[in-house]
Order: sequence, then structure tokens, then C-alpha cells
Amino acid sequence: MERRTAGAVAQTVPEPIASESAHFVSADSLRLRSDWFNRMRWIAAVGMVAASLLAVEFGGVVLPRLPILLTATVLLAMNTVYTLRNRRVPAVDIRAELRVVKLQMVLDLLLLTVLLGFSGGVENPFHFVYIIHVLLAGLLFKGGEIHRMSLLAGLLFTAEVLGEATGLVPHHHLSSGPEMSRDWRFVASGLAAFWLVLVACAYLSASIMRHNRTIKDDLVVRQQQLMAADKAKIDFFRYVSHEVKTPVVTAQSAVEAVLAVAGADMAEKPRDLLRRTVERLRQATEIVQGLSDLTRGPLHQGQDVRDVNLNRLVATLLDGQQTLVESRRLRVEVRLPAEDVLLRASETMVDKVLGNLISNAVRYNRDGGRLIVEMHDLGDAVRVSVADEGIGIRPEDLGRIFDEFYRTPEAKAASTLGTGLGLPIVKRFIEQMGGEIAVTSEPGRGSTFTATLRRS
Amino acid sequence: MKRTILVIDDDIDLVEIIRLTLENEGYGVIDAQNGARGLELARERKPDLILLDVMMGEIDEGFQVAYELRKGDNTRDIPIIMLTAVADQTGYAFDPEKDSDFLPVDEYLEKPVSPRRLVDLVRKHLPPTI
Repeated sequence: MERRTAGAVAQTVPEPIASESAHFVSADSLRLRSDWFNRMRWIAAVGMVAASLLAVEFGGVVLPRLPILLTATVLLAMNTVYTLRNRRVPAVDIRAELRVVKLQMVLDLLLLTVLLGFSGGVENPFHFVYIIHVLLAGLLFKGGEIHRMSLLAGLLFTAEVLGEATGLVPHHHLSSGPEMSRDWRFVASGLAAFWLVLVACAYLSASIMRHNRTIKDDLVVRQQQLMAADKAKIDFFRYVSHEVKTPVVTAQSAVEAVLAVAGADMAEKPRDLLRRTVERLRQATEIVQGLSDLTRGPLHQGQDVRDVNLNRLVATLLDGQQTLVESRRLRVEVRLPAEDVLLRASETMVDKVLGNLISNAVRYNRDGGRLIVEMHDLGDAVRVSVADEGIGIRPEDLGRIFDEFYRTPEAKAASTLGTGLGLPIVKRFIEQMGGEIAVTSEPGRGSTFTATLRRS
Repeated sequence: MKRTILVIDDDIDLVEIIRLTLENEGYGVIDAQNGARGLELARERKPDLILLDVMMGEIDEGFQVAYELRKGDNTRDIPIIMLTAVADQTGYAFDPEKDSDFLPVDEYLEKPVSPRRLVDLVRKHLPPTI
């Protein structure tokens, strides 16, 4: 027995990406990044204290412990403020969030400079932590801002190094070797290497992010074009379906009226021809209606949402099939929970889903076959299965039965009246409701369609 | 004596279908192709029942006609069956109980109009003869 599950991914209309954001879809996503920075800052502050203590205790380095501890305390206090702000102030305006992150980065650079001043300045290999800030600026800001942040980092470090070299700022020597902070060749080469790496990183970071942004902008434009095209398609279908349906249903009503008024007096052949005409017109109406339904899912989703009583709906739908059920001598078995099952959803969509499954089970059943409707309340979802003992579906057709207009050869042979749109509508509506549809079938033995309708 | 039904609808073919169906059931049928003429006929002829289309020249013309009919001394008690294609076009299905606050009609009949359903609904509110 073959089993196939249609995808359960809900189709949602994507929101256009805010054009004012530098790299972030929303203020929320920037806030997530800001939270990550805060976590890194905790680690940096603790690492700063631990490293200086270890250097003093085990490395024989003479460092001013109190100023370093004070600097770490200031960093911890500031990070506490940042963390509390992120928890209490909702992320609404992406520009405001960017301003806050920028200010935090400037303060981080200042603190880093102070810390370097207490821990060897140019002699301290950790001065390349400035570069990390430049890379982070590349992730967060646009081109000009990256360069300004890089310039600030470079100037702060240069000022600190030159201050020590000229004796304006006290130097804390890290090792027992010669003091390098006043060695102008060492200072000049150190600053040159630093600026080279700084400028290269800023340039590469800005270039990569510019490229990234260009791709993103292109995607935004394409997304908007696709959304516009999709809307035009839906509007077109709606217009065409209404314009085509109106004359067709009027013709159907006219023939039905003629049959009702004069059918009894007509010869059998013309009467039969008129009846077949009505069936054909009904089929045409169903096709137009089906196309309209396929393009109108999101419209249904927002409307007539209520607590749908599934027990009652199943009973009503079976009642609507009663004439056919009797004429084909089908044996209907209904296994529903004793208590009414309620599902908050679009009544129209649920009606179409279960209505199509039940009418298919009637239409493609064998004479005298069983039709079993079973329902289970799973708490967060409701599972409804509709089984028949009819023509079944060949394994190679299972993957195609949810395609628009596809009808299996067996279905075509069993009934000329199908539209090939019933199951695509079932699948589309269930997916839009966040559920899934599965089918098991054996050719010649019958099929079971199981719809899982989620409550969330 | 024949009961008279006023059909207010701008679709001439549909009016003829309704006429054919209802006259065959023993009702008399008069018709109007717009709301203003429909109101005139309702006041002059005092039909026993009115079949009223929602969307005619204006999208809510049928609504306005229904309000006017309910305001008139001679017309406020005439049963109104509203013909709609609203469910088809919007997905919203009218309900005579829930929607009676803003739309004072007795029944809704969704298009396409099935002759059998039409006759059943009309008979429910109006036996063919007195």
C-alpha cells in the first residue's frame, strides 16, 4: 500500500523587507544580534579580569590591578544596563536600535583603549581586538559608518600608543625585557601594521556587505514584483471566474427551469439531452468555482472564522450525499467522538476540505462499498479520515492527484463529471490552515484520505 | 386568487427564469430592473413577496431597497428573499438570523438559483393561492 503525504508547510504571503534597515529584516532581528553582543561582552569582561590576574600571578607581569578591575566593573555595569534595556524596551524602531548599538560600540572602543593603557599599550598583543570591532561594524552598518567606526578605532589606538611614546600617558611594561613603547621604530612599525590590517578589514568588510546588500535589494525588488504578479493573477482569476460563471449559471438555471416546467411533457431523448446539458453546465460551474477557490484561499482564511462543529458538519455533508449514497447502495460508517469536536477555522475552508473528500469517496466508490468517516481529537489537532472501497489510486498516480486538473484514468472512466480541482483545493486549504493531508490507497481496493487540521 | 411576487433584478434572463418557474407553480410575477422602479412597484402593487437582488447598478442597491421597504408603511411586512452571489465572490455567507441587524430580509438565496430551491423557499413564506 502506497502512502503519500502532502507538504505541511503553511503558505504565507511574505512581508516586504524594510528598506531602511542596513542588513536586518526587522528591529527584532537586530535585537537578537544585540543580545548576542551582550553575551560576548560578559565573556570579554570576565576574560579581561581573569587574564590580568593570571598574568600577574603566574606571568610575573606587573599590572595595576585596581584600574583594570575598575575598567572591567564599568564594562559589566554598562552591559547590565544594555541587557536590562533589551529585556524591558520593545524593539520597535530599527533606526533607534541601530543608534543604540552604535553608541555601545563607541563606548566599547573607549573602554578597550583605557584597558590597553593599563596593560602595555602597543606591547599588548590583544590590541588587535580593535579589528574585531571593525568586522562587527561591517556586519551592522552601511559603508560610511563602517569607515567612521574604523577611523575611530585607529585614532584611539594611535593616540594611546603615541601618548605612551611621548610620555604623556604612563606606560605599564608587560615583560621583563626592554621597554618598547618609546622605541620609535617599534611604535611606527606596530602602528603601520595595525593601520594596514584595520583599513584592509574595513574595506573588505564594507565591500562584502555592499555586495550582500545589493543581492538583498534585488531580492526585495523581485519579491515585490512576485507579490504584485500574484495579486494580478488572483484578481484576474476572480474577474474571469465571475464573468464566466454568471452566464453559465444563468444558462444552467434556464435549462433547469425548462425541465421543471415542461420536462414531463417532453419526449425522452430531448429531455435526457437537457438533463445532460444541465450536468455539463454544472461541471463548468464547478471548474470556474474551483479555480476561484484555489486563488482565494487567503481571502477565506480571514473570513468566517468560527468554532466549526465538525461532528455536525460531517453529518450535514453526508446528508447532502444521501441520494447518491442510496442509489449506489453504499454502507456508511461514521466513527466520531461522542462529544462534539470544535475547530476554530474558516468554515468555508473546512467545509470544502471535508466536502470534497466525502463526495470523492461517494463518487469513486464501488456500488455496495463501504464509506468510512473517522475522526480523532488529538488535542492540538483534529484528524479526519475518509475511506472508500472504490477504484483506488495506482502508486504512480499518488504523486499527481494533488496537481490541478489531473484526473487518473480510473477516475475519468468512473465519472465524467469530475473537475480535477477538488483534491488540489483540499491540499491548498489544509496547508493554508497549517495542517497536512495524507493518502493511502490500493488500486481496485479503495483509498483513505487523512486530513490533519491543526488548532493553532 | 393568485399571489403576486415582485422580482427586482437587473439580469433579464434570470428574471425570465424565475418568472417561468414561479408562474408554473401558480404565482403571478411582476418585475423591475432597478431598485427605484422596484420600490415604486412595491408601493403601488403591494406584492405578497419580493425577490431582491443584492448587486444591481450599485454594489449595495439591494441593501438600500431593503431598508426603504422596511421603512414604508405599506411595504414593511412584505417578506423579502434576497438573491446574492456574495458568498461566491467574497467567501462570506449571509445568515438571516445573524445578519438581520444590518440587513432586514427574511431569507437569502445564493446564486445560481436552483428552481427547486427557489420554489421551496417561496412556498415556505407564501402558499401559491389564498
